[in-house]
Amino acid sequence: MHDRTPLFQCGVFKMRRSRLIAAGNGNASVGDDMIEVRNLTKRYRDLVAIDQVSFDVQKGEILGFLGRNGAGKTTTMRILTGFLPASSGTAKVAGFDVFEQPLEVKRRVGYLPEQPPLYLDMTVYAYLKFVAQLKGVPGAKMKSEMERVANLTSVGAVMDRVIANLSKGYRQRVGLAQALLGDPEVLILDEPTVGLDPIQVREFRDLIRSLAGKHTVILSTHILSEITATCQRVLIIRQGKVVACDDLGGLAKKYQEPNRELSLEEIFVKLAEN
Amino acid sequence: MRNALAIARKELSIYFTTPTAYAVFCGMTFIAGMMFLAALGYFQSMSLQFLSYQQPQLLEHLNLTDMVVYPLLRNVGVIFLFMTPFLAMRLVAEEKRSRTFELLMTVPIRPFEIMLGKYLAALALMAVAVGLLGLFPAIVSFFGSSGTIMSSGAGSPIEWSTVFSGLIGLFLVGGAMMAVGLFVSSLTESVVVAALVTFVVLLVMWILNWQAGRMEGVARQVLDYLSMPTHLDAFAKGAPALKDVVYFATFMILGPFLTERAIEAHRWA
Repeated sequence: MHDRTPLFQCGVFKMRRSRLIAAGNGNASVGDDMIEVRNLTKRYRDLVAIDQVSFDVQKGEILGFLGRNGAGKTTTMRILTGFLPASSGTAKVAGFDVFEQPLEVKRRVGYLPEQPPLYLDMTVYAYLKFVAQLKGVPGAKMKSEMERVANLTSVGAVMDRVIANLSKGYRQRVGLAQALLGDPEVLILDEPTVGLDPIQVREFRDLIRSLAGKHTVILSTHILSEITATCQRVLIIRQGKVVACDDLGGLAKKYQEPNRELSLEEIFVKLAEN
Repeated sequence: MRNALAIARKELSIYFTTPTAYAVFCGMTFIAGMMFLAALGYFQSMSLQFLSYQQPQLLEHLNLTDMVVYPLLRNVGVIFLFMTPFLAMRLVAEEKRSRTFELLMTVPIRPFEIMLGKYLAALALMAVAVGLLGLFPAIVSFFGSSGTIMSSGAGSPIEWSTVFSGLIGLFLVGGAMMAVGLFVSSLTESVVVAALVTFVVLLVMWILNWQAGRMEGVARQVLDYLSMPTHLDAFAKGAPALKDVVYFATFMILGPFLTERAIEAHRWA
């Protein structure tokens, strides 16, 4: 096992080191890394959830985050959003350290957790309004902003229904709408397509594609076709360690076999299997 | 502040769009109503008995404020003891259980604002409770006759300054109990555990002075001071001292402060 997969650092990592220092604190300018993760480690007592994870995501890029269940995807995302502290290492969003300047980071990040954080007793309208208030959407823009995200996620028809009575697909989309509120620069989506029907999955794919360029997106999923359809770059982690971080073409080239190119699925199986 | 108010509004909307608040307030007014009727009945029979004694100094105390409203407000403290754990249990624990805590911790608000919003909502609930209980003295005032049974004087049958003092005392008791409940709720993911632990803590605070009878000197004073009924009593009598205010203020500051620390601690571990 040891001889088969060397531990990869992200290709971009070494290249950008100098720029990282130049950027310092404050807003990242165009072309800079929007998200910088350095040697991130999280231990839960004896269990090492993620181990020395480093990667960068450029502004406007869509990164597919792959790994088997329990590989550490959710933990990484939770650290990036400031929900969990890292045991060691640093993570920066738009130049702000997630632990030192949490409010600055949270202002820029829209987050859809694995389980959508919904108040089941509230209506969709009341819920979205509540989140918009917490995200600091000004009162005058509240209505148009809520309409915007409702249209993007097509939840307009259920605005007055109580969330407890919604189907799984609708709940997932309300969760997504919540993440999009306030038009954050960075979107961190933990398995966003769970529970969506094929048509909704397609709509979601279009939505994510339309965000490329302006927004930086990290998205984890188990559906590999999702990744090939939407992401420019893929990060694969196994048992808390980064095993690959490359664009799709680069991955295919790196793992091609003499007579043919491997599909993402085959590469994933090769890299992510314990 | 805007964020805190948004959270307070959200909490209250959940309390009042689900049966929680209505069920609790219904139970509270029903039990208070029973206590009220019992006090009224007692007052009535005492009045008839004392009528024959013709002793002015005894009859002095035979008025509606001292005989009906004062015991009612004191006893309502016991209802609060049972009621506040149910109201406070879900404040933070429910957010953790339903994973919405993850939302609160990843939107740009401070733990202080989360705590403040939740505590403001809790205080608003207590204000509603005290408002409902204020109806009982109002009923007495509407139907009662003024003065003692010896001399039917003019004016209000109720000594409103005493009653208001008692209602404020009840609000402070409720606020202190909610502060305990809020803090306990921020320590657990289980609403049942939150309610139980809160109830046990409050019950201990309530019956602490039962032990005081067996003690002497400083120990007795300390136990007396630490127990809640002592201070509610001072308010209900219409003569609260600074120490009574300090007692409740301690809870109402310490509870939210510790809650804020408990929420902030999530960012660290």
